Amino acid sequence: MRCLYIFNRNGMCLHYHVWLRSLMTLSPQQDQKLMFGMLFSLNSFTAKIDPVSSGKENNPPCSFYSFRTNTYKLHFMETASGIKIILLTDPRIGDLREALMHIYSNIYVEYVVKNPLYSPGQPFRCELFNMALDHYVKTLQ
Amino acid sequence: MRAGSREVAESCLDGITMEMVATYCDRLHSSKPDLAARRIEAIGFQVGQQLAERYTRDRPRFTDHLEVIKFICKDFWAEVFKKQIDNLKTNHRGVFVLQDTRFRWLTRISVDSPLTPSEANNTTLAAAQAGGKYLYFPCGLIRGALTNLGVPCAVSAEIAALPACSFIIRIKV
Amino acid sequence: MAPAKPGDAAFANVDHVNAELFTLTYGAMVRQLLTDFEDVEEVNKQLDTMGYNIGIRLIDDFLSKANVTRCSEFRETADVIAKIGFKMFLGVTATVSNWNADFTECSLVLDDNPLVDFVELPETCQGLYYCNVLCGVIRGALEMVSMRTEVKWARDMLRGDDAYELRLKLIEHVAEEYPYKDDD
Repeated sequence: MRCLYIFNRNGMCLHYHVWLRSLMTLSPQQDQKLMFGMLFSLNSFTAKIDPVSSGKENNPPCSFYSFRTNTYKLHFMETASGIKIILLTDPRIGDLREALMHIYSNIYVEYVVKNPLYSPGQPFRCELFNMALDHYVKTLQ
Repeated sequence: MRAGSREVAESCLDGITMEMVATYCDRLHSSKPDLAARRIEAIGFQVGQQLAERYTRDRPRFTDHLEVIKFICKDFWAEVFKKQIDNLKTNHRGVFVLQDTRFRWLTRISVDSPLTPSEANNTTLAAAQAGGKYLYFPCGLIRGALTNLGVPCAVSAEIAALPACSFIIRIKV
Repeated sequence: MAPAKPGDAAFANVDHVNAELFTLTYGAMVRQLLTDFEDVEEVNKQLDTMGYNIGIRLIDDFLSKANVTRCSEFRETADVIAKIGFKMFLGVTATVSNWNADFTECSLVLDDNPLVDFVELPETCQGLYYCNVLCGVIRGALEMVSMRTEVKWARDMLRGDDAYELRLKLIEHVAEEYPYKDDD
């Protein structure tokens, strides 16, 4: 695992966690903004280029769930409520869609959304979330 | 469906108790924390009385205070908080301390992790303070239940380290 | 045995509490609000606000457990609320009816309502929408899936009507927009 981002529907980065990142060329703010912008463009690109369905009617618009470069792989999921979870990993890692869903359902919802001290829509770094995330990520490696 | 056997999602109850605190402590009486605490405690008191009534309907009358306290630690706790009290202490002069090492309504409370080591000392305290607001309601529940069962008392709570807490019952003579 | 309906599966999937504890807690809170405000309209408003705050959190709880990936259409979403949402949280279902011509308004008629078990309203709270928290919850949850709505009680048995009927009105779909300006 390299790092994790969680954005909400308004493009606010709720959480940014770095496990391993030897190269940091941008400030965290610039980095997050660039990441969100890329996701936004890529999502609208994948939907517009879709040769199969129009994205209207009952079909949800298509989306991507990962891409890979020679040095890293980016895994992505988005919920109907606009929560976007992004994991950057080693390029050799396989499909992590289930892992992203697990992070959303069992860690984000349980320890952030259900934490009475959390104000919805605000960035967070609560201890229980961090602990549960670290614990879970270790099981993936 | 028969009332009593019916269930709802726990999130519904969590939502209501969370918003009860937000409404009274943050919106209505943010400058008067004591007043907010009394209002929430009063809500708990009503519920505690009604629950005690329902939970004891089919059982013989209690013979002394200790028996009532034990009922609260076991049956009442299991119904409401899904476990029993872990440790019960008393000074034998009307003060009882109920320790719950993992109080269900505190298990998801979590403060921000510290950014610097110096902040780390404050987080335990901050967590205990923030968690305290969520104990006004259970304090009222316990006082209401005990009062209904013939044990007039005062109830307060302490948090040492989340999610553990103690409820202190002082019986009025 | 596998539950037959998606709502049943969702309800089986979450932790439960005795409905009595929930219903009595809600009732005691409404009574306390009535004592503190003395103004029924204000209590209605408070209940709606509380519901909204609950709804904006509950939506993620719902989506993470109900296996619903997209709520993009209002018509389909109303069905999801009635059949899965109500079932998952309150253990009851609702029936969707009375659509208007352009499918922006509908009614949810509750088949049963656990919030009102043991409730009798005193004469003094005329005008109270006892279950107004539900309006707020639905409004808050829908806002998080890009739908701005208005939710009101159309019929309320505590006020002498013959059913619990919520009226939902879609005001607009809020499209997700790029939140940053290009030059900042």
